[in-house]
Parts: sequence; structure tokens; C-alpha cells
Amino acid sequence: MTSKARKSLICWGALSPIVVVILFPYATMLSTALKHKDEIFTFEQTWWPREFYLGNFADLLFERGFGQAIFNSLYISVGATLLSSAVAIPAAYALSRLRMPGKGAFRNYLLITQMISPIVLIIGLFRMFAYFGMINDPHALIIAHSAFYMAFAVWMLQSYFDTIPKDLEEAAWLDGASRTRAFISVFLPLCLPGVAVTALFTFVNSWNEYAMSLTMLRDASSQTAPVKIAFLTGTLYETEWNIIMAATLMATVPVAIIFASIQNYLVRGLSLGGVK
Amino acid sequence: MTASTTTLVPPSPRGLRLSKAIPGALLLILPSLLLSAMVIGYPIFDVLRMSVADVNRFGRVLGFAGFDNFLAAFTDPIFLQSAWQTLIWTFCVVGGTVLISVPIAIILNEEFYGRTVARTIILLPWAVSLAMTALVWRFVVNGDFGTLNTTLSALGLPFDNFPWLADASTAFGIEILVGILVSMPFTVTIIMGGLTAIPDTLYEASRMDGARGLQGFRHITLPLLRPFLQIAVVLNVIYVFNSFPIIWIMTNGGPANRTDILITYVYKQAFGFGKLGTAAAGSVVMFAMLLAFSVLYLYMTRSREVQQ
Repeated sequence: MTSKARKSLICWGALSPIVVVILFPYATMLSTALKHKDEIFTFEQTWWPREFYLGNFADLLFERGFGQAIFNSLYISVGATLLSSAVAIPAAYALSRLRMPGKGAFRNYLLITQMISPIVLIIGLFRMFAYFGMINDPHALIIAHSAFYMAFAVWMLQSYFDTIPKDLEEAAWLDGASRTRAFISVFLPLCLPGVAVTALFTFVNSWNEYAMSLTMLRDASSQTAPVKIAFLTGTLYETEWNIIMAATLMATVPVAIIFASIQNYLVRGLSLGGVK
Repeated sequence: MTASTTTLVPPSPRGLRLSKAIPGALLLILPSLLLSAMVIGYPIFDVLRMSVADVNRFGRVLGFAGFDNFLAAFTDPIFLQSAWQTLIWTFCVVGGTVLISVPIAIILNEEFYGRTVARTIILLPWAVSLAMTALVWRFVVNGDFGTLNTTLSALGLPFDNFPWLADASTAFGIEILVGILVSMPFTVTIIMGGLTAIPDTLYEASRMDGARGLQGFRHITLPLLRPFLQIAVVLNVIYVFNSFPIIWIMTNGGPANRTDILITYVYKQAFGFGKLGTAAAGSVVMFAMLLAFSVLYLYMTRSREVQQ
């Protein structure tokens, strides 16, 4: 056995307990989502379904309006991603490149906004959006999510911006480009991977958010996926775990795939961003 | 660790450009300031106002109440119990997270077959909504139908129909474990970032100087990881302290408030009992606790930077 193979065995061996704990819920989701309801409530539980039953998914999409919930989640997450990028990119640029009074104060301000849980403020938030007549309005969530996820986006973007050499912009200036022009045609293309990763990160956060959506979206037709799923447990007399697991599977697998595809960049960007 | 952001000097007379750059920079951060001032700032003001006001259950402010709301909170034994449980919850989850994240990050930083797969699996809990994680775990540990008892029984262990969430200490323990599981990916990510910044030559040099075993870890890895560990701790404390879905969905603070933390206490006061004033006072206490922690943290890191 080569030394790398031995090392791999040791590494996987050391990681195996945590890997099992992480994958256990997925196995549970998959196994339960594929079972017929009658098979859940027996005292002889097995991992492997007696027959592979896809009816839970059909039931969710066609009977319970889960498709609508997925659409609502998508709408809100995309909106929040766009809005928070729109405000975070200029702010991060200013922090990274411009001389500005109160830079430290702005950074501390961002940290303070991160210290406040939306749930602590939920009464105030609800009253404010109610005042604007925006209860049940997905745009209220877009605004709220952007505000809460913006600080992190600024940190991550700033750390990317700091890694881009200033000479390139300076060269563009010397060639007669304005600051704005240099920003758009030289700077932004260079930091596109960083912007994309930050945007996807905001998307995942917004997609997964629960408490604000629960409070602000009261209509069944405007609910997002996590809220809808939690409602499936709350409103029914006996909890239909087969339906719930099918729903969690549908809502988590696509996001998990997005996440897995960006994790390489995330590891780099976030570690830099976190410390600064 | 602070990036010394030197200003770009534009290719034209200095003073002239600089005076123009100042309002320009403010203009760039203005949208972010406005957005957070509205969505976060106004509700803070509203909650602060309600904490010293006599508020009815529909949120109408009836008058000034002084510190009555705070008094009501501090004389409520459940509030004090929740505050104590919040400290246990935060300490155990953050401590446990850091303790398991350091070795995991070190392993993932090694070269081995299937490292990308391992890293993807380790980071997976991050991608999933806390609400859904909590929901799935509630089913996993379900006494009668849950997959945990099924598996443990299949292994011959006596956990048939063991009701994990019915007993306060096992319920809180499981919630803490789930909390560690969901905080771990973020922490591992930060620590891995720190590890990649340590050059291998340092270890080689120390080995030549006769360092062996864990000495390299103690004298090179840990000191250089310090700023990364600090940021991991401070961010985790904030997130865990404010974490709502795990406890809310798994046990709803029960049995008998033994798993309530401040955030679930506040939520119940507001939406369960309609005591908006007490809820607002509780929120203010939580905010003050986090503020004290953050100020302490900033002070500690700043004084260290000055020393260096």
C-alpha cells in the first residue's frame, strides 16, 4: 500500500463518524419519502421501502400547491440576491479602494447589523411592513432578506476586491478611462467569480430563511418552501412524515447541488472575508 | 490582520481628486446604509420604544411604562431559566463546534484520495435550511417511527421506542448536537482558510529544529490560526445565541420550558401570550448581552493589534 493510500484510509476513518451523522438525515429523507404512508406508522420499521412509491412527490406538487411554494421561494431568493448585490458591490468597492472618513465605523455598523437576529426584531418588522401594506407581499421579504444578508456580502466582496491588483485600474486610467468605466470594463470582469459566489451564497441564505417568511407571509399561496413544509407538520392531526420528507428532499437537493458547486470558491473567499 | 487599504492615487492633481473622492465614496455606501437603516434600524427603534411602553396585545402603545416590562421579565422565573439555558446552549454549541472543526479542517487540508468528496459532505449541512434540518432530525429521533431507534435496535442496542425528545436533558443534548452539526461547516471553512495561509516550509523548518508530534500543531498551527479562530468564535456566538428554528421546531422549548432559550421565550411572549412589552424588553436584554460580548471582542482584538 502506498503512503498516500494509507493516509487516505486514516483520513476517511477519522472523518467517518461525522460523515455518518451528516448523511443520516439524507438517508432518512430518501427512505421515508419513497415509502407509502401506511408503511411509516407501523412498529416494524425498515430502512428499505417495501415498494418504491413516488406518489408523495405527485401529491405534494399537484394536491398541496408545493410547486407554488417553490416558485415563491425562487422569486424571493432571486430578488434578494439581485438587490443585495446591487447595494453590496458599490459599498465593498468603496471599502476596498476609496479613501473615506468613517470606514471603521461603517465596518462596525455592518458587524452590529449582523448581531441582530431578525427574530428579535420581528415585531418591529411586522409592524413596519404592515404600515406599508406589504404583508403577504414577496417584495417585503426581498427587501428584508437583502438588508440582513448584505453585510456578509460586503465582507466577502471586499476580500475579493482586495486581492485584485490596483495596477490594472491605474493602467486603464492612464489610458484615459474614467473611474466608472475602469470599474465596469476592467475591475468587474476580474472579480466576477467573487461576485458570483457571493450572489449564490446570498441566494442559498434567502432560500433557507424561515422566521421572517413565516411571520410576513400569512397567505397559504404566498408561503415559501420552508414555511410550507413546517406548516405540513403543524396543521395536520397526525404528522405525515412521508410527505414532509419528500418536500424537504425537493427543497434541499437543488440547493445542496448549487452549494457543492461553489464550495471551492467559498472556502477561499469566506476565510479572507471573515478575518478582515 | 487589518488590510491596510491605501488609497489609489488617481493620475491627476492629488488634492483636487481627493476632495471629490470623499462624497463619491459616501455615495457608494449610501444605498447599503439606507437599506439597513430602514429594515434593521427602524425596527430596533420600535422594539426599544415598546420595551419601555405599555403595549396592548395588538401592538398599540398605550403609554409610558418605565422599566415595568423589564421588571416583569426579570421577575419571571422562566425568563431567568431561559437566560441560563441560553448561556449553556451558546457555550456548548460554540465550544463543541470549534473543538470538532479544528481537527476536521486539518484533515481536510491534507492530500488524500476523495478529499473533494469529503469536503462536500462536510459542508453539506450548511446548504440546508435550519428549519428543515430540525424537522428531519425531529423525525430521526422520533421514539416510535424514527430511523435512529430503528438503527440502534437493529444493532442490538436497547433503544426500542426510546422517546429522545420527551426528556429535557436528552432533548437539549440532541439539540446541542444538531446545533454543532449545522455550525461546523462554516467554522471548518474559516479554519481551512487559515490553514492554507500557513506555508509548509514552517513545518519543515520546525522539524529540522527537532519539533515532533503535536509540537508543530501547538507552536505553529494554533498561534497562526488564532485570528481565524477568534472570528469563528465571535460569529458563531452571534448566530448560535440568536438561533431559533432548531429549538422551536424540535421541542418548542419543552418539556416544561427546560429547553427554552431567550429567543424562544421572547417569541412565545410576543406571539403566544401577546405580551409585546415583555417580549420587547427580552429582546433588548438579548441585544445588550450580544453588544457587551462584541465590544469585549473588539476591545480584545484591538489591544492585540496594538501590541503587534
